[in-house]
Amino acid sequence: MTKPKLFGYSDKLSVKPGDLLQFYVNAEGADRVEARLVRLIHGDQHPSGPGFMEEEIDCEANGTWRVEKQVTQLGSFLEVADPARHLALEKSLTVFAFICPTRPQAGWCQSLISRWDNKEGCGFFLGISEAGRLEFTVGQGAKIDRLEAGVPLQANSWYFVAASFDGSTGQASLFQEGVLNRYNSLLSRVALVEHHARAAGRLQARQKNLAGTPFLIGGARDWQNDRGQFVSQLYCGKIDRPGLFDRALSGEELDQIRSGQKLSSHGMVAYWDTAAGYTENGIGDIVTDAGPFQLHAEGRNRPVRGQTGWNWSGRNDCFRLAPQEYGGIEFHADALTDCNWKVTKAVKLPETLRSGAYAFRLRAGEGTGLGEEYIPFFVRPKTPKSAIAFLFPTASYIAYANERQSFEAPVTQPVTGMPAVLSEIDIELAGRSDLGLSACDHWADGQGVCYSSYRRPIVNLRPKYRSSSANLAWQFPADLSVIAWLEHQNYEYEILTDEDLEREGVSALEPYTCIISGTHPEYYSERMLDATEDYIASGGRYIYLGGNGFHWSVAFRTNEPWVMECRKFGPAWKTWDARPGEYYMATNGQKGGAWRAQGRPAQKVVGVGFISEGYGKSQFYRRMPDSYHRTVSWLTKGIDGEIIGDFGLAYGGAAGVGLDRCDPALGTPPHTKLIASSGGHTDSYLVNPEVIHYAFEGLSGSYDYRVRADMAYFTAPHHGAVFSAGSVAFGQALPVNNFDNNVSRLLANVVDAFVRPGALPGSWWISEEKQWR
Amino acid sequence: MPNATKIQDRDELFKQMFEAKQRDFLRTLVTTEVAEEHRIAPCGQHSEPLDRLLLYFNRRPLSERYAIMTIEPFKAYRVVALSGQRGVPPKDVDNEIYPSHIEAQHAIFLRNVQELLES
Repeated sequence: MTKPKLFGYSDKLSVKPGDLLQFYVNAEGADRVEARLVRLIHGDQHPSGPGFMEEEIDCEANGTWRVEKQVTQLGSFLEVADPARHLALEKSLTVFAFICPTRPQAGWCQSLISRWDNKEGCGFFLGISEAGRLEFTVGQGAKIDRLEAGVPLQANSWYFVAASFDGSTGQASLFQEGVLNRYNSLLSRVALVEHHARAAGRLQARQKNLAGTPFLIGGARDWQNDRGQFVSQLYCGKIDRPGLFDRALSGEELDQIRSGQKLSSHGMVAYWDTAAGYTENGIGDIVTDAGPFQLHAEGRNRPVRGQTGWNWSGRNDCFRLAPQEYGGIEFHADALTDCNWKVTKAVKLPETLRSGAYAFRLRAGEGTGLGEEYIPFFVRPKTPKSAIAFLFPTASYIAYANERQSFEAPVTQPVTGMPAVLSEIDIELAGRSDLGLSACDHWADGQGVCYSSYRRPIVNLRPKYRSSSANLAWQFPADLSVIAWLEHQNYEYEILTDEDLEREGVSALEPYTCIISGTHPEYYSERMLDATEDYIASGGRYIYLGGNGFHWSVAFRTNEPWVMECRKFGPAWKTWDARPGEYYMATNGQKGGAWRAQGRPAQKVVGVGFISEGYGKSQFYRRMPDSYHRTVSWLTKGIDGEIIGDFGLAYGGAAGVGLDRCDPALGTPPHTKLIASSGGHTDSYLVNPEVIHYAFEGLSGSYDYRVRADMAYFTAPHHGAVFSAGSVAFGQALPVNNFDNNVSRLLANVVDAFVRPGALPGSWWISEEKQWR
Repeated sequence: MPNATKIQDRDELFKQMFEAKQRDFLRTLVTTEVAEEHRIAPCGQHSEPLDRLLLYFNRRPLSERYAIMTIEPFKAYRVVALSGQRGVPPKDVDNEIYPSHIEAQHAIFLRNVQELLES
């Protein structure tokens, strides 16, 4: 008997008591699991902390769940609903498109445009052969004929390609022409590379159009015993303005299309105008058919739009400026935005659940290793009652979902300075493709992953998980250290998620006197950032308990909060680099990249912003002169000495991993008090390249004074205030010594003050010259 | 000297030549003192010789990298070799069990040093 493996996800991340939540479970080596609702309290097993802590909760859904093996359709493609079979051309046809393949020799045959059943060998498709050459195939089951071009396609170069087929004579022609301009392709015209190809031949087979075969762009219908129908022959690359005619177009007519001239309507069956439909607020998954039957195509697994097309002139860097140059829709064979599994269990949550982080814990076999799975979700109160809300940075959880940088990113070990520390689940993740990629990874064709989703199992959004590249609790399990602290201190608190912030804006925060952020709220949408700023400006009290926060601009569709888009480019550190002209998010038209590059550095909202990142060793803070100022000396009440946080679950210090500093030049409010700062960081901590404009030796921890975490405090209008820790490692210092330590004491001073309505402590001191002791 | 007829990417050709010279130099930095410095503190601020060695080891191609496999968190670890290929799992390099990831990290360092000296 093989050891069972369990993976699961839920349809929502943020719910309320009494809500219906659907769970999707894939089980290998088990047909039943023991399910138990648990509240998650602490997620880091580091021996210097309290260890893993959960509370079992009574729930009707507790007990045995029947589970099964599920299958996942990977790859993005377009599907055209064609009930009247307009696209099932029985005789002559021409199929054409502009294409920019990113992986012409992917190791399998790729379909560009197909009405093809790969199992039955019936239908037709224009594609790229395993050898990376343009091919046209027709089949009638027993007989399959194909025509292949003699010149291989070059990766990342634009072509116009077509196949015309005369059904009466069987004469087929392939047409392949490079359409490189000065901007649109990897190579320029100076390269001695052949792009032009023609092929012709008389085919014996004729297309047999089976009734159930779908018309696909970027894939083809297939079938396997263990999964039934699915889409294979997935394409890697861009397709721009594909179309279909019911006659064999001549070479002259194809040349006219290649040169961008208006298409003849004579015999046109479909013409998908991939550049149509752009708005100021982005574009969706429907691709308009400008042909006579309006057979619009619909994207699966979110084909990437907002990408440059074959005619990109380089003058405009956004689809909002020149939509006609942004007809490139990009497909990836390993894209995944929704596993679309069968529902395993629909659970009505108990009405009495208190707000918190929960999970359904599933166990099969011995219930250990891969035989144990947690499917987390977050329960908000039906009606907010507490003064405090902890804001789980779920957008950042989505960004890092299933990242596999230890295995695939050459840069990871040079950045962390240490070998990866793997666990069983990391090996499992690296060995399978059906769990998808994170916004830190690359698709197999080399492009950066700009869509990440929570409608799939996320192995690192689990208690107990440790980041393999950094060898510490990261994101969710690290944030649970703050939850455990709130529990230990007996604070009455509730929780929120980024999803709530994105959906409701500032009204999600307004019921609370005090908001506490997670340890690394790095990915922020405009609505989330606006809500945070508005909350503080209108009197809210915000504890920014992290580092490298509010960094990347991201976007969500209103009706699909599980998919996040990001575009990485510019001087900020990044695991991938968007191509020129592809910096704007198709989701909403917002510019991607770092918020600093859009005039919104984190300093403007929370006083501190990203300055450095490093691994392996954290440091402590030392009190700064401002901490003795009477307006803020209450923050350090009860703390002996100068040193704060020379301990922690993240490399032994409260200041580490990601560091933020005050910078008036980036918008730190002028009256900000610098309570404490770290220093002495190793040279693996480098200065954020966004703040340097010329690199030189010595931009690192032991040379550059800017490499530090600043603990900052400032008051805001209407009795508002912000306390910022400026370090990812801060929250993970809280649990040390059973929460009895000076980081814990300091944070309690902040929280105690922030939850009291009215004037903040120290605010009655108004005469500046008398405030220094 | 790498075989220029077998390497399409000229950047790769230069890299191989550069790294061959780099290895000649790095071999001169290997001492018992450097090994001891790493054993005591594999992470942190290091001397220049150790720093140079680690920067070289950390930048090896993925297919030439080692990693640490957790047998039991905070109690037992093993050294494995990465494949550098998506979907191909790491391989065990031996049966040695280390009681901390620090000790496993040092074992990887010693392996890297040995391979450097033998290269």
